[in-house]
Amino acid sequence: MQEFEQIPKPLMDQPTSTLQDVSKKKEVAVLPDVEAAVGMSRKWDAREAGRDVAENTIRQLKTPPDFFLLFSTIHYEKYGGFQEFLNGVWDVIPKETPLLGGTVTGFMNNYGCFSRGASALAVSYPYMDVAVGVGKNTKRNPNRAAKQCAEMIQKGLKESLYKNKFLLTFISGPVMPSIPGVGQKKYIRSGFISKFAMQALGLSQALVQKGLAREDEIFEETVKQLPDYEMILGTSMDDHRGMKNYQFLNNQILTNAVVNLGLATDLDLGVCTTHGMKETNRNFTITQLGAKNHAICKINHKPAVPELLRLLNWPEGFLTEETLIHTLLYYPISLRRRGREVPIVMPLIMKDSIFVPCIIDDGDVSILTVSGKDLINAVKENLHNFDGIQPEFGLFSTCMTILQTLGRKTNIVQEELCNYFKDKSFLLFYSAGEGTYSLRKNITYANMSFNTAIFGHQKK
Amino acid sequence: MKDDPIARVLDDLLKLEDILACMVARRNMISVMPSGEGFKPEVNQIWDNIHRAMDDVFGVISAYSQIGLGEMEFRLQDYEVLFYVFPDTENALVAIVPTLANKGLLEVEMENARREILKIMNPEKKTENVVSR
Repeated sequence: MQEFEQIPKPLMDQPTSTLQDVSKKKEVAVLPDVEAAVGMSRKWDAREAGRDVAENTIRQLKTPPDFFLLFSTIHYEKYGGFQEFLNGVWDVIPKETPLLGGTVTGFMNNYGCFSRGASALAVSYPYMDVAVGVGKNTKRNPNRAAKQCAEMIQKGLKESLYKNKFLLTFISGPVMPSIPGVGQKKYIRSGFISKFAMQALGLSQALVQKGLAREDEIFEETVKQLPDYEMILGTSMDDHRGMKNYQFLNNQILTNAVVNLGLATDLDLGVCTTHGMKETNRNFTITQLGAKNHAICKINHKPAVPELLRLLNWPEGFLTEETLIHTLLYYPISLRRRGREVPIVMPLIMKDSIFVPCIIDDGDVSILTVSGKDLINAVKENLHNFDGIQPEFGLFSTCMTILQTLGRKTNIVQEELCNYFKDKSFLLFYSAGEGTYSLRKNITYANMSFNTAIFGHQKK
Repeated sequence: MKDDPIARVLDDLLKLEDILACMVARRNMISVMPSGEGFKPEVNQIWDNIHRAMDDVFGVISAYSQIGLGEMEFRLQDYEVLFYVFPDTENALVAIVPTLANKGLLEVEMENARREILKIMNPEKKTENVVSR
């Protein structure tokens, strides 16, 4: 695989005068150990959970961590708050440790799969430089936020001599605005309310930053700014409701922010996206877009929703708030964006229009389908791409819809990952908009996808 | 009841917003309930009907758990009742949730709870990973 073709140089040739503490390197005479630890907490009290997750993680390391990734479910908001949660973490981890993360729908690690609690991944490695970045007001001005954040990474790693570069970009996820008289529904039947909601969404996005995450726009801009990085994209979310989400950067709790973790290292690393979605023989053409190319208003020159129902052989009136979850999510569609294929689910219906989570282009579309088995096979396929690497640690961003779909069977995925990583640490978080980027494959942005970043050594 | 480790597992489940009630039960008998204030109030209005239906479902569970029946669920009005059967027994972890709950997320925690309870019931038997709280 291309990403792993960068064979590490002999140890003596490795750069020594980088951002890392030189004295730390001098102690290393042979191939140094990568120390990676994953910990977690299931405590309810925010402060206790923060302390617990940090202790469980840090105690597995012999040297202080070079970075600390921290993900938690939204529950701590009601059990002491996220500032207390972070305070608990900082009671334990060394000052100045770069910390980054946020709220997620759930997570998976070496211990299991959870939709409540907190988990962290800490890594200590002498041949790695680390920088963090932040950009604010992502929903109002995604491009500016992406630029701000990328500049911090560029600046932080500009003196690094390591060639393998990685970026985790973690972005505030979508927040559903509450429509008066309707609430936060995913299916609005009324034409009048839909028309109002469509306009209100634009205003809400700009004024109160409630609406789409615009992670696709941020990701595109980040790639433009940092094209030589391998990237994994994830978004911050709550428990699938889409009401609020938080990002963590060092000791700060943020909203509507993008936070980046940049690494430059001699470790081999690679990223990969798989999704398991298959084409059906059902196709259509988008003939009218709306809401700044976020809404499919007409397909085959007809109102989008009735025409989609006809194509799927579903009766009129079949879609409801409830059936939307059980049916439409299993029929994603393959859209196009700047020549790239973008498989997405249809999360929001407004009368006759289908709302999509990213900016899309009009043109030909395939209806896809996916089953639980396909999703699990996508994980196997993904890991197969990394057969040539001896993993040291791994990070995954995965669509929360997969967690919702697989439910307790998500443990099958965890077993696959445990088989691959053996005693090495991994952390998977569930988000609402994910993807990867590498120079070779360009941007892969997809819903219902598994996105992998694996760090290790090329097998000899 | 407060020192019962299984009740503590149920306490954790009941703290989740969409778990309205949970228990370890079998036909005609609730074995363990959460140690706190009991079920959430909205269940009270439908509890008698749900309880009757649950007993019928336990009839099916006792007939088929020995041959691998693992889960069952039914919907009654605006509620769903999930049964996670303890293998080879007539007992199940039961939860009542609203119909429109994010069931996938709840299933993950139901499964974790089932594994924890199994570990408590069979301490010498190796069960799947469970993180201590």
